[in-house]
Amino acid sequence: MKNKSKFLYLSPIIIYAIVLILFPILYILFLSFQTNDNYGGIIYSLTLNNYIKIFDIVYLRVLFKSASIAFITIVICILISYPFCIFISEKKTNVQKILITLVMVPFLTNSLIRTYGWIVLLRKEGVFNSILQALNICDGPISFMYNNLGVFIGLVYTLLPFMILPVYSSVSKIDKKVLEASKDLGANAYHTFTKVILPQTLPGIFNGSLMVFIPAIGMFFIADLLGGGKIMLVGNLIKNQFLVSRNWPFGAAISIFLIVITFLLVKLYKKTGGNMDDLGGF
Amino acid sequence: MKKIILCITLLLLLTGCTQDNKEVVNILNWSSYIPDEVIREFEKEYGIKVNYSTYSSNEECLAKLSSAKEGTYDLVFPSDYMIELMIKRDLIQKIDKSKLNNLENINYNYLNYNYDYYNEYSLPFLAASVVIVYDSEKIKDDITSYNDLLDSKYKGEIILLDDQRVVIGMALMALGYDMNDTDSDHLEEAKEWLLKLKENVKAFDSDSPKTFMISKETSIGVIWNAEAALAMEENKNLKVVYPSEGFSVSIDNFAIPKGAKNIDNAYLFIDYILEGKVMQKIIEAYPYKNVNLETQNYLSDTYLDNNASNISDLMFSTGSFVENIGDKIELYDKVWAEIK
Repeated sequence: MKNKSKFLYLSPIIIYAIVLILFPILYILFLSFQTNDNYGGIIYSLTLNNYIKIFDIVYLRVLFKSASIAFITIVICILISYPFCIFISEKKTNVQKILITLVMVPFLTNSLIRTYGWIVLLRKEGVFNSILQALNICDGPISFMYNNLGVFIGLVYTLLPFMILPVYSSVSKIDKKVLEASKDLGANAYHTFTKVILPQTLPGIFNGSLMVFIPAIGMFFIADLLGGGKIMLVGNLIKNQFLVSRNWPFGAAISIFLIVITFLLVKLYKKTGGNMDDLGGF
Repeated sequence: MKKIILCITLLLLLTGCTQDNKEVVNILNWSSYIPDEVIREFEKEYGIKVNYSTYSSNEECLAKLSSAKEGTYDLVFPSDYMIELMIKRDLIQKIDKSKLNNLENINYNYLNYNYDYYNEYSLPFLAASVVIVYDSEKIKDDITSYNDLLDSKYKGEIILLDDQRVVIGMALMALGYDMNDTDSDHLEEAKEWLLKLKENVKAFDSDSPKTFMISKETSIGVIWNAEAALAMEENKNLKVVYPSEGFSVSIDNFAIPKGAKNIDNAYLFIDYILEGKVMQKIIEAYPYKNVNLETQNYLSDTYLDNNASNISDLMFSTGSFVENIGDKIELYDKVWAEIK
């Protein structure tokens, strides 16, 4: 009886997951084995050609470039969020709650609109350049966007909360008594950090990295708007298959490929001793 | 109790949208192509409600049309090559021209193109071309061709359309080939040409390239003629060039999807748009090439004197259309991935 009511309470989320997540993914999986008819339709078949095509050097290069950009984004996000989380965790509980809520406030505005906001700030005659030139800090306008710098600014800005939240949850879980014990036993600040704090927060960092990695390779509109459409990320490649080349099966195959990579990364995490509960973490 | 409330709400949600007998027409059109004012006036005059949805590329239009239930849309506006493709996929139906009173307003120069030779399935709505536009205040040389753009002093000064067929087609024309060439060696050359040009490219943008020219972010653009014309209204120093190597053109059309439910209303709407004065409002707002003979009498001097928007019929006929190239599109796809 108790199980039954539990199921009833969970049913909205289960229905939601089946209809809006499972079905579309199954359809994408099905599509990825079909053949493209060149007119934007599909020919029913069972072929691995779309997956083989991913390993064409041209597309591998796109994957590699995306992965590198995502990786750099992750590193910058860690460097910013780690000190920030330690700073927050030393505040009173109420202040902590407020600060973490503030981290989430940007989610209330659509990320596409926030990206347009960055254009106003970054462009040649934008706010930043006007201020810099008015203060005589530089002569000509600095190119903040329509290059890789713009892509990184956009990605780090958009994805930073995805890193902060899991890192914060693992940092705040550290027992202050353990830090005192480490001090009592003669460890200096460096050793306390590397031997005590870092190992306990690694799951948070890994979780954050995973949450940043996936969107970082998929967010095509940031590369389009702030990078001037000059960089092709996997997200752009998938979008192009659906909206330009009319090759849905290939686009579907790349999407499935990304999902598989995500699973492999999680598996790797488990293999190296990570705890799945920590991933679910906050 | 909670369950009952939930059931009632769900039922209300399900029934809420079906109780409407008012006349409607469901239109799927390019974003920013018909001013809102024109739609409102049509609704007022005919008492027909217009349900308007938009797309930003032909492929998006195809995706929406082919994935929606038959009868979802009554009128769409695909371009030339997409008309051909939709005929092949059996997505659009023949147009009954006897239902249109304003048919003779259409400029015959824009009829009977290869993509629908007898205009059985489509009628031209307006035409567009891709032009070079440059800021003569900043660029002192005379730019006349695509190859002029390779000059290294234009570093970071160029805005291109984010459109693989148009941009690769431009490279092919610059090299003296046809813009629909599918020879892999020629495409390889086009790739090298584009990699060279990319040194000078600030950005690829199809949504609003005019913004780059107006804000002086870039001083050279290879963009749609209406975008160029709108930019020229803001910046009088902009000059338009029809490149010597050739340029791409396209025609957007009225087409009626298979299984359209409000077909008579769709004809009423087409006929309304084909009225000279109505089309004038559209063209003045979005200055593409007008293909309506009647409208030509009403157009303002601003439009007529602007050689970006008001390209001559003769000039237009020398442009090249994007054509369907079957599975060879994969070659273009790869070139595009490599230059980005």
